[in-house]
Amino acid sequence: MSQEKEKLIAELVNKGLDGDMDSVNACEDRVTRSKVKAMIMKIKKGSLDRPQMPVSLSDTPNESDDTGKTDDKTTEDISQKIKNMLLDNFPDETDETGQDGHMYVRPDKWLDIATWLKTESSLLFDSLQCQMGIDVGEDILESRYNLHSMVHDHYLEVRIRVARSNAKIPSVEQVWRIADWFERETYDMLGIEYVGHRDLRRILLPDDWEGWPLRKDYKEQETYHGIVVPKMKEGWD
Amino acid sequence: MGLVHGEEMVLNIGPQHPATHGVLRLQVRTDGEVVSQITPYMGYLHRCFEKHCENVTYEQVIPYTDRCDYLSSMSMNFGYVVAMERLMDIKVNERVEHIRVVMAELQRIASHLLCTGVFGLDLGAFTPFLWALRDRERILDLFEFTCGARLLYNYMWVGGLSHDIPVGFVESTFEFLDYFEPKIDELENILAHNKILVERSADIGVMPKDIAISYGVTGPNLRASGVKWDLRKNDSYSIYDRFEFDIPIGEGKKGTVGDCWDRFYVRILEMRESVKIIRQALASMPKDGDVHQSLPKKIRPPKGSVYARTETPRGDLGYYIESDGSPIPYRLKMRSPAFTALSVMDEIAAGWLLSDVLAILGSLDIVLGEIDR
Amino acid sequence: MGLLTNKFQQDNVVVEKLDKLLSWSRSTSPWFFQFGTACCAIEMMAAAASRHDLMRLGIIPRSSPRQADVMIVAGTVTMKMAIRVKKLYEQMADPKYVVAMGSCATSGGPYWQHGYHVLKGVDIVIPVDVYVPGCPPRPESLIEGLLKLQEQILEDRPLTRKMA
Repeated sequence: MSQEKEKLIAELVNKGLDGDMDSVNACEDRVTRSKVKAMIMKIKKGSLDRPQMPVSLSDTPNESDDTGKTDDKTTEDISQKIKNMLLDNFPDETDETGQDGHMYVRPDKWLDIATWLKTESSLLFDSLQCQMGIDVGEDILESRYNLHSMVHDHYLEVRIRVARSNAKIPSVEQVWRIADWFERETYDMLGIEYVGHRDLRRILLPDDWEGWPLRKDYKEQETYHGIVVPKMKEGWD
Repeated sequence: MGLVHGEEMVLNIGPQHPATHGVLRLQVRTDGEVVSQITPYMGYLHRCFEKHCENVTYEQVIPYTDRCDYLSSMSMNFGYVVAMERLMDIKVNERVEHIRVVMAELQRIASHLLCTGVFGLDLGAFTPFLWALRDRERILDLFEFTCGARLLYNYMWVGGLSHDIPVGFVESTFEFLDYFEPKIDELENILAHNKILVERSADIGVMPKDIAISYGVTGPNLRASGVKWDLRKNDSYSIYDRFEFDIPIGEGKKGTVGDCWDRFYVRILEMRESVKIIRQALASMPKDGDVHQSLPKKIRPPKGSVYARTETPRGDLGYYIESDGSPIPYRLKMRSPAFTALSVMDEIAAGWLLSDVLAILGSLDIVLGEIDR
Repeated sequence: MGLLTNKFQQDNVVVEKLDKLLSWSRSTSPWFFQFGTACCAIEMMAAAASRHDLMRLGIIPRSSPRQADVMIVAGTVTMKMAIRVKKLYEQMADPKYVVAMGSCATSGGPYWQHGYHVLKGVDIVIPVDVYVPGCPPRPESLIEGLLKLQEQILEDRPLTRKMA
């Protein structure tokens, strides 16, 4: 391994440990990135010492995060632990860890991760509290899952990002049965297609409705079955 | 005697039907009288709640939350303000907290009264319905006394309340509770131990624990299946941790744990617990304190998201609020308890007789306004 | 026949237009079809139940359109529902009347601006006789609306040929 790469890894590890995972995730090289993440994990477990912060590279102290979040320290710890476990088990599939109790996952292996989350004895996320879709702009749709374990009483929020042009996410309706209707609703509202869903139809709007209402650029259709969808009645001003 | 398969029939119930509790359409596949599959179709009351939230300011969302679950508007307000206050890190004073708890519990009683009354009506008992509505009117009077509205209140605001309680409210509430407690026994006697109702609801539509959890069923429906899960205790939002009350769970007194009768009976027991909470909250309510004290001048939450849950009469109500720092929510998702309760319908009602379907539906206590939003 | 009680010495004959007799008898028993969709349905239920007791006015709730004279559209009507509203209205026997209860049924109510799926007033699909404003209207308002409808029915002349 070259000198420069080692330096970069050391720097990113330090940054990651200080809570700045964004710069770790911003790293272009996938190999470096996974090495950094593995190292962070080992340091957190205590099997490795923290490397020296290289001096030559820029080191701006990052103190904007993690302030005023002391009141729910325990839940933060738990979600951090879960994240680490997830990174251990699915290193390539988890994208980046967000700051406040959520984590990003790549869509490809979501079904495996979901099954693992539900069955892993130390996690046991047996209930899917909420599933929602959101149009985050820039042609990206996000599907978010709020998981909760009734046994261990801990929470996790998983987010999956997909491009609008290829809005496909594996369905988890067979893992948590309620995901069936939640996914249908998200499909109805945002047009995210859940691959493997056994009954993916519109749930609230009529089957012949046009468009995805909760996308930010949604335009109402003019008529529905001959009924005009007027914005305003005449003479209302 | 061999198993005879009759001709399959598809029967349509709703969307306009007195027993569907609103505009719900059930497509029922039957083999003779036995139901083999139920497909609920909803959306007949889809009023674009989430789209509205993306177009109005945070304060203006509150009236829309009222209209989602119109049988427990106070609880809907409560859930929203709890979520917003968590997002904005607002602490409200003691008086506000106490008033909120009193209102939410009164609302729980009102909602459960209607549910039990209508459940009786679904099974053919008309009198208990009138009794329940008679007592419910008295609770509505208390609400009207407080904020001027009978059904949709817009009472709880982010950081406070719209009005303080009027002079004499505490006394009239105590008076109501004294009147109401014997009425619960009356209602229990005429309904819960009534032979006809027991025959029609015990052992019917049994919902096992694991199915309930997997389908995300919450609230009284989950508790009736024997799971001691109540956010008032388990999450202790607001000041619920200060009050002493039990969480009634289904015990299968008349049949199996998690049958229709249990779901119905848990609600009657819960009314008693709510009465307990109201008494404690009224007794410990501070005499002074401005209910507008911590109202923010402008509601502009910081960038970020929050998911907060509260216990409404129907179960876990979750609000997921995504804020982009502007005075308008970027995205607001309501996780409604009745939505999940309805989804279990096919699982628990298949295999029962057609006449049981309406008993099962009635025992789930759904409100279409929040299913369709 | 309240207004004629104890007015006569012995058996008597009342002379009145047949038209008026018909509309009078219709006005005193407008059975309504409880078409409740949303919040207003709860207030409609409250109006028919214990305290307000609509039945004392001869106004009795029916669940089937075939048995009803008045359709009370209580609550928001959505696009998905609009087709059914029209169908149910057509199933009612003549003479039929419609009461639009609440601001959603009259104009779309709080959903009129951004409600892409909400019908902006039920009068787009069926003719409405009485509008009851409010969100939701109190049971008293609904009763007032029904009394107004009774007045309107009383004015009807069902036997007289309508001039073009």
